[in-house]
Amino acid sequence: MGIIEVKDLSYTYPHSTKPALTNINLTIQPGEFLLLTGPSGCGKTTFCRALNGLVPKFYNGEMTGKVEVNGLNTIEHPTMKLAQNVGLIFQNPDNQIFALTVEKDIAFGLENQGVSKAEMMREIDWALTVTGIQHLRQRATHELSGGQKQRLTIASVLAMHPKVIVMDEPTAFLDPVGAEHIFAVLDRLNKEFGMTIILIEHRMDLAAKYVDRIIVFNEGSLLSDGLPTDIFVSDSTRLLGVGIPRVLELARRLETRGLRFNQLPVSADQFYDSILRYLPEPTQEKSCNVIDLDMYTGEFHHQPVIQVNNLHFSYPGNVKALNDVSLTIHKGDFIAIMGENGAGKTTLVKHFNGLLKPDSGSVFVDGVDVSTTSVAKLARNVGLVFQNPDDQLFEETVEKEISFALRNFGFRDSVIENRVNWALNLLELTEYRERSPFTLSGGERKRVALASVLAWDPEVLVLDEPTVGQDYGQKERLRHFLVHLRTQGKTVVIVTHDVEFVAECQPRIMLMANSKLIDEGTAKEIMTCPEKLRQCSVAQPEITRLFSRLVPHGLPPDVLDVDEAFDLLLRHVKEAEQ
Amino acid sequence: MSLLDSLRFTRGDTSVHNLDPRVKFMLTMVFFAASVMFLDLVPLMIVFVVQVPLVIIAKVTGEWIKSLKGAAVIACIIFVSNMLSFYYFQGGNLTWALVEYSLSLTFRFIVLVTSFSIFFLTTSPDKLSLALEKARIPYEFNFAFITAIRFVPVLADEAQTIMDAQRSRGLELDKGNFITRVKNYIPILLPLIINSIRRSLELAEAMESRAFGATVDRTNLYELKMNQTDYLTLTFILLCVALLIYAKLYLPSFPKLLGDAAIF
Repeated sequence: MGIIEVKDLSYTYPHSTKPALTNINLTIQPGEFLLLTGPSGCGKTTFCRALNGLVPKFYNGEMTGKVEVNGLNTIEHPTMKLAQNVGLIFQNPDNQIFALTVEKDIAFGLENQGVSKAEMMREIDWALTVTGIQHLRQRATHELSGGQKQRLTIASVLAMHPKVIVMDEPTAFLDPVGAEHIFAVLDRLNKEFGMTIILIEHRMDLAAKYVDRIIVFNEGSLLSDGLPTDIFVSDSTRLLGVGIPRVLELARRLETRGLRFNQLPVSADQFYDSILRYLPEPTQEKSCNVIDLDMYTGEFHHQPVIQVNNLHFSYPGNVKALNDVSLTIHKGDFIAIMGENGAGKTTLVKHFNGLLKPDSGSVFVDGVDVSTTSVAKLARNVGLVFQNPDDQLFEETVEKEISFALRNFGFRDSVIENRVNWALNLLELTEYRERSPFTLSGGERKRVALASVLAWDPEVLVLDEPTVGQDYGQKERLRHFLVHLRTQGKTVVIVTHDVEFVAECQPRIMLMANSKLIDEGTAKEIMTCPEKLRQCSVAQPEITRLFSRLVPHGLPPDVLDVDEAFDLLLRHVKEAEQ
Repeated sequence: MSLLDSLRFTRGDTSVHNLDPRVKFMLTMVFFAASVMFLDLVPLMIVFVVQVPLVIIAKVTGEWIKSLKGAAVIACIIFVSNMLSFYYFQGGNLTWALVEYSLSLTFRFIVLVTSFSIFFLTTSPDKLSLALEKARIPYEFNFAFITAIRFVPVLADEAQTIMDAQRSRGLELDKGNFITRVKNYIPILLPLIINSIRRSLELAEAMESRAFGATVDRTNLYELKMNQTDYLTLTFILLCVALLIYAKLYLPSFPKLLGDAAIF
C-alpha cells in the first residue's frame, strides 16, 4: 500500500471539452523522491491539485476514478484536513505567503489547525532549522529575496508535518545557487526525514541527480514511469522533447562509439567517476590548450549601439540598485546578463529604453542620451520584452495585441497589417490571430508578448528571463529563433538565470552582483571562472563542471556544450589508447 | 504620498513598540481628545512636549520628521486660510490674538499628525489585528485586513511592471486630452485586474492547502499580555484623563502668549 494511490483518475475542468487527465494509475511509496515532467500543458499541475483534493473540489469539473493519500480518499475528506498529509507548494511564492513576518507565516497553517502555542514554537524552530533560515525568523516577509521566500514557503508547509511534499517548479524564478539551496533542502527532507517528495521541474540538469523515479506526462496521460536513466534513454521521452541531462546525453553518444558506462550518469561527478578509466593518469602541470581568445574578440569592431558610462541608480528610499556600471554593447552582439536575484539586471536593462533615468553617469542608445529622450522614442530602437506576458496582454485578440505598439508608434494601416502578419508568421502564431490572448497557454502567451514587441522590428531586442517556466521544446524553439535574429544582424540582450541555455547559445556574458558589473567576456571565459560565478550566484553548466575536473587529465576547461565535449573526449580517449 | 509613507510601520524593539496595542491606542485617543478639547497654544504645547520624548524613545524621529514635512503644506494652508478668513471677518484688524489663534489651529493639526504617527509607526499590523481579535472582530475580517496590508507592496510592484511593459510598447500615458488620457490607462488597468483575479484564485488554493478554516478554535502565535509598563502607562493615561477633565471644567482659560495687541 503506497502513501499515494491513484486509480483510473480522469478529470475535465469545467467549461472544457478536453480532459486534463485521462486514466492515470500510479502508486507512490513512502520515502520516494519523484520527479514529474512533460511538456507545458500536459496535466502535471492538475495532477498535483488532485493530490490534496483541490481538483475536483475547488475547481469543480468532472472527476472519475480515485485518489487516496495516506489511506484517505480525497473526495471524502476536505482539503483542509488533507493538508496535514500533503503539503502543496506552488510556483509563485508571493501568492502563498500570508503573514507579515516569517515566523507568523510558518505558524499560519498551525494556527488554522488550532495547535497550542508551545507546540507551534517547537514546529517553527524545526522548520526554520531544516530549511536553513533561522536568521530570518523575525524578518518582514516582503523584504525577503526570491530564494528566501521560496524557502519560507517550504518551511511553512513543513511545519504542518505533511507526509508528502508536492512542489510545482519551485526554482523557476531563482538564480542557480538559490535553486541549488532549494534542491538541497528537499534532498535533506527526503534522506534525513524520509519524506515523500513530488517535484515538477523542466530543468533536468539541475534536478535529475536528486530523484529516484521520474514520471512523464503527455496530453493528460501517463507516458512513462521509471528510473531516471531508463526514462532518459527511452525513445518515447526523447521524442516528446523532455530535456535530458547534458552529461547523460554525452555519455550516450560516447557509448555509440564504444565507450562503456557502468551506469549512465546524471551528474558531472558520476560522469567523471565512470570516464576515469579511459583517461591517462592526471599530470601535475595544467594543460594549456585553452582556445585562443583573440578569435572571439575579433568580431567586436562594429559600432556601439548601447553605451553605459559610470551609471549609478537608486530606487526611492536610497536602495542602491546600480553602482558605477560601465559597458558597451555593439551592433549585432548577443549578450546574456547573468547574476544573483536582485543584482540589478532588470534595473540595468530598463535604462536601455529610458524607463529609468540615470541618477548619475550616462546611457547612450545609438548616440542618443536616454536621460533627455522619451521612452516612446527610445522604444522604437530598443524593444523590451518583460518576463511575465500577463503583465502586458490586454487586447481582445492576438492580432490587436500585436498591432498595439504599431498604432502607438503611428505606423500606417497597410504597414501595420504587413508587420502583424510577419510577426504572427515568425512566431508561428498565425492560427491564433483571432483568439483572445487570455485563452492561450503560458508558452503561447509568452510568444504573443514577444511578437508584440518584434512587430516594430527594433534594432535591439531585450528579453527578460525568456526561458522561465518554458519546457525543453519551447526553449529549443527560442534558441533557434534567437539564432535567426542574429543572422539578421539584430542586437539581442537576454537577462537570464538559465546556465544550460546560455551554454548552448554561447553569448557574451555580463556578470552582475551587488549592483555592480563584476565581469564581462565570452561565455567560455566567464564559465571557466568558478569563483566569479559563485560571487554572482551562478553555477557552472554541468558539462563545464565536468571538464574543470578533467583538466589534470589533459583536457581543456572551457567546454560548454555537448557537441564540443563529445569531439574532445573521443579524441582524447583515442589518443590515450594508442 | 510622503504623509502616508510616514505612517507605515517601522520595525523596532523599543518600549513604545512593545506597548500593548490597546494601551497605545488609548494613549493616542487621549492625545487626540486633548488636542480637540483645547484650542490654546499652552495645552497643545504641553501635549506636544509629552509626545516628543515618545518619538525619541521609539527611535522613529526620522520618520516622524518626514511625516511633519509631508504635513507642512497642509499646516501652511491651515494657517494662511485662517489668517485670511478671520482678517476679513473681523473687519481687517490684524491682531496678535488672531495670529495666536491661527497658530493654535496649525499646532493642533501637527499634534494630531504626531499622535497618529506614533501609533502607526510603532504598531505592527499583526498586533493591530490581535487587538481587533480581542475586540471580537471575526477572524475573516482580520485575515482580510492583514492580507490587504501584505499585498500593498506586491500590487504596487506589479502596477509598476505593467506600466513599464506598456510604456516599452510605446504607450504614452500623459498624451492627449482628458478622455484620451483616461483611455491610456486601460492597457494598465486590464492586466492589473486580470492578474489580481488570477492571484486571488492562487491565494485561495494556497489557503486551502494550509488548512484555512480547519477548526473554529483557531490559535494564534502571538498573544496580547499586559505587562508592568502597560499598567504604568494605563495609570498615566487615567491621570491624564482626570487632568483633562479638571482643566476643561475648572480652569477658566489659558494665558495668551502673544497678547492681543494689534500688529499695525
